[in-house]
Amino acid sequence: MVHNFKNDITVDWCPGCGDFGILTSVIQALTELDMDPKSVVSVSGIGCSGKTPHYLNIAGVHTLHGRAIPYATGVKLANPDLKVLVMGGDGDLLGIGAGHFVAEGRRNTGLTVILFDNAVYGLTKGQAAPTMEMGEKTKSLTRANIFGKINPLTLALSAGYSFVARGFSFDMKQLKEIIKTAINHEGSALIDVLQPCPTYNNINTMEWYRKRVYKLEDDKSWDPVIASPDDPEAQAKFERAYRKSLEWGDRIPTGIFYDNRTIPPFTKRLNEFVPNYLEVPPAKQRILDAEGYTPVDPDLTFADKIIAH
Amino acid sequence: MISRAFASSGYGVFGVREYHSNIKGRHSYIHLRIKEKQPRSLRYPVDYLVALDADTIFEHLEDVSQGTKVIYDLSFERSDLASARMIMRDTAERIRKTLEEGGYERNVKGALKLMEDRGARLIGVPFDDLVNSAVKEGPASRYFNTLGAAITLGIAGLKVEHTIEGVKAVFANKEQVVKLNVAVVQAAYEFCMNKGLAGKELPELKVGKRFLLTGNDGSAIGKVLGGLRFQTYYPITPASDESTILEEHEALKWIQKETEKLKEAGVVVVQTEDEISAVTMASGAALTGVRSATATSGPGFSLMAEGIGFAGMDEVPLVVTLYQRGGPSTGLPTRNGQSDLLFALNTGHGEFPRIVFSSGDVEECIYDAMKALNYAQRYQMPVIHMIDKNLANTMDLIPEIDRKRVKIVPPVRVEKEPFKRYDLDTDTGISGFGIFGRDIFWMTGDEHDELGHVTEDPVIRDAMMRKRFQKLVTADREIPLEDKAQLMGPSSADVTFVTWGSQKGPILDVIEDLKNDGVTANLLYLKMFSPFPSEFVSSVLKKAKLVINVESNMLAQAARVIRMNTGIEIKKHILKYNGRHMTEDEIYRAAKEIIFGKEEKVEEVLVNGA
Repeated sequence: MVHNFKNDITVDWCPGCGDFGILTSVIQALTELDMDPKSVVSVSGIGCSGKTPHYLNIAGVHTLHGRAIPYATGVKLANPDLKVLVMGGDGDLLGIGAGHFVAEGRRNTGLTVILFDNAVYGLTKGQAAPTMEMGEKTKSLTRANIFGKINPLTLALSAGYSFVARGFSFDMKQLKEIIKTAINHEGSALIDVLQPCPTYNNINTMEWYRKRVYKLEDDKSWDPVIASPDDPEAQAKFERAYRKSLEWGDRIPTGIFYDNRTIPPFTKRLNEFVPNYLEVPPAKQRILDAEGYTPVDPDLTFADKIIAH
Repeated sequence: MISRAFASSGYGVFGVREYHSNIKGRHSYIHLRIKEKQPRSLRYPVDYLVALDADTIFEHLEDVSQGTKVIYDLSFERSDLASARMIMRDTAERIRKTLEEGGYERNVKGALKLMEDRGARLIGVPFDDLVNSAVKEGPASRYFNTLGAAITLGIAGLKVEHTIEGVKAVFANKEQVVKLNVAVVQAAYEFCMNKGLAGKELPELKVGKRFLLTGNDGSAIGKVLGGLRFQTYYPITPASDESTILEEHEALKWIQKETEKLKEAGVVVVQTEDEISAVTMASGAALTGVRSATATSGPGFSLMAEGIGFAGMDEVPLVVTLYQRGGPSTGLPTRNGQSDLLFALNTGHGEFPRIVFSSGDVEECIYDAMKALNYAQRYQMPVIHMIDKNLANTMDLIPEIDRKRVKIVPPVRVEKEPFKRYDLDTDTGISGFGIFGRDIFWMTGDEHDELGHVTEDPVIRDAMMRKRFQKLVTADREIPLEDKAQLMGPSSADVTFVTWGSQKGPILDVIEDLKNDGVTANLLYLKMFSPFPSEFVSSVLKKAKLVINVESNMLAQAARVIRMNTGIEIKKHILKYNGRHMTEDEIYRAAKEIIFGKEEKVEEVLVNGA
């Protein structure tokens, strides 16, 4: 029987919210990948995006504001066999949680980070969030936004994410495919999803985006994949991705910007030091013997602390 | 080196490391006590003062008295207090006054003269000449540590082969380095012989194999034995040593009968970007069924508050080892303190159950760390294991580590469809534990229903609050009293000391000292603060005659916890908050002031330590 990845829970996002498109795309991606529902978990922070795990029929944890990435990293490192999806808004991941977002690039743990990018803090009535343009005045703001904006793609590229993409929540076909590729990607992936907030962001609306988005893959020569460390184009592909991600305004590119499969994920790096880490990670270890005691021998494990006499 | 050498000869060694928040240059020292039986406290004045730099002489003016042997490099005699720039300005000013008021020169010569007038025996050693006579490689100063230690050991009368053992232990496996340092040891012993300084040879003592451990070591070992397989940390003194020790021992070795069955495996230690990440990453790992923990100190613990609250709300088995140092804020980053007790009991907003308990010696650190992981799994709540800096940096000798002293308690498992992570159908408050990868369930920091979905229903809210706190009632019922509080010594006594943490050892010694004054004393030793053993503490204190509370903080925090839980107010306190370890002599002096004094309310503040 095909698992129903959609949960039987009332979704309480506003009508017309871009989050619906993300939820549907995730469900479709998991279904099409025919995933074992117990092999994938979702982790979110706080805000409208934070509710997503409850709407998915897989294990999920709705954590603290900004902290989805470290919680998810803990899950992944303890049990690297699990696929771990991170759901967060731009305020969550790039505001309060920006430190973790950057640190995750250094780790490249193997998380699929889905950024619900609507430029506002929806659940608290529409304050300006880190991806809002300076000078923009949405209807919920008392005055124009006085902060500059963060570009999630360039930030992810410079931090070290090995997969960087952008989707549009009203193009579920493309988004679903990006999510599928990202889930199968070994390192950490960032998917920046342009997602209108119909209640508080009356500038970056569905129509506003529709007029501007175009797909990178429509250009047949676009190739973001680095499959081998010897790829002579590797540096050029990074630079191209970086330049492309700066494009914003009348035309906004979507699709996969960068897909580097040669950077070892954190899990593989750990395997170099921790014996048999990938085969018997923490979650697969037996910590007690038949009598209920630890199988660890203190004298052998901590032999350097012994003073012989 | 001195500890290793004496330990190798069978002696009991106990010591504390004191250091500045500075990498190189400022004064650091080890305060050691060596006895035939294992010591459990330190004492001033010292019998030996070994100065490896001129600052040491100035800094420890007050720590010598009749008979103290002061071992130093003759070249220090050229040093001036004014040029001792690495001594904290206020400290230097105080030293200057002491020297001036006594009519001494404001230099090492003056300081040594003062020590001599106080009865110290000065032993000047030509460090450079001695080293140069033994080795030709590298600057002589490279060997000053070895030389100072070897001269001391020679004077003490320790057989040279044990000193060489000490050298080998310190410079493990570096053959050439060991060789050069052994040459220095031999030169030092010869010097002692020629100058008539060599002590009467100390007898070797018969002891078995022992572990030389710090509190940091003890906690790391206990965690591994308790099943820890995932630890996170952000660098902070004095907590990060524990994580480094875990990383050094990440490859686990199984007991013989398991080696055929189990694949070689290890502990994952992750250095995170901050303490918020440390606490949340450890919690994430715990959701996969892995025993996980983090370790931190005051400032990091403050950052962890929200994450600890989440673990309380979401019933995550999380262990936080809290190494206390002098606060508030950055405070005294490398110094002792016990000022985080009330904070540990109240960390995080809202009301959630937690276990807060503390260790008082290195051996306790081992078994308490094992128990902490058990408590977290069994009661599905955050467990805060407190270790003070003094204990973290205490060196102690432990005869054996018994992996069977604590059984590993698996989490409660309930086979029921659908799986309800927060099943309310429980008398203990404990619901079946859920594991990512095995079970499908949800969690949220919001109030939630049995499945783990957000709810604001008033009835479920009440039921969930009660269920969470019921676990604390269960924990209180199940955890044996001896793990919460102990009455040590006679059941009835003239004086009852109350303490927690690293003052346990010195107070037990003070109890012995007081016998000579015709005073009987016992100790109400507190370990667990949540759940608090109110009934037991109350019964002990009601029977007690004179109660003296001893803590390393200003507000007498444990006494406040006692009052909050029992209504009993303790009126006599011995407190210390200068960041230095409490010593036997100062507690004894203060206790006598209180015992033989007349005042109703007394607070003795201790000040020992450089």
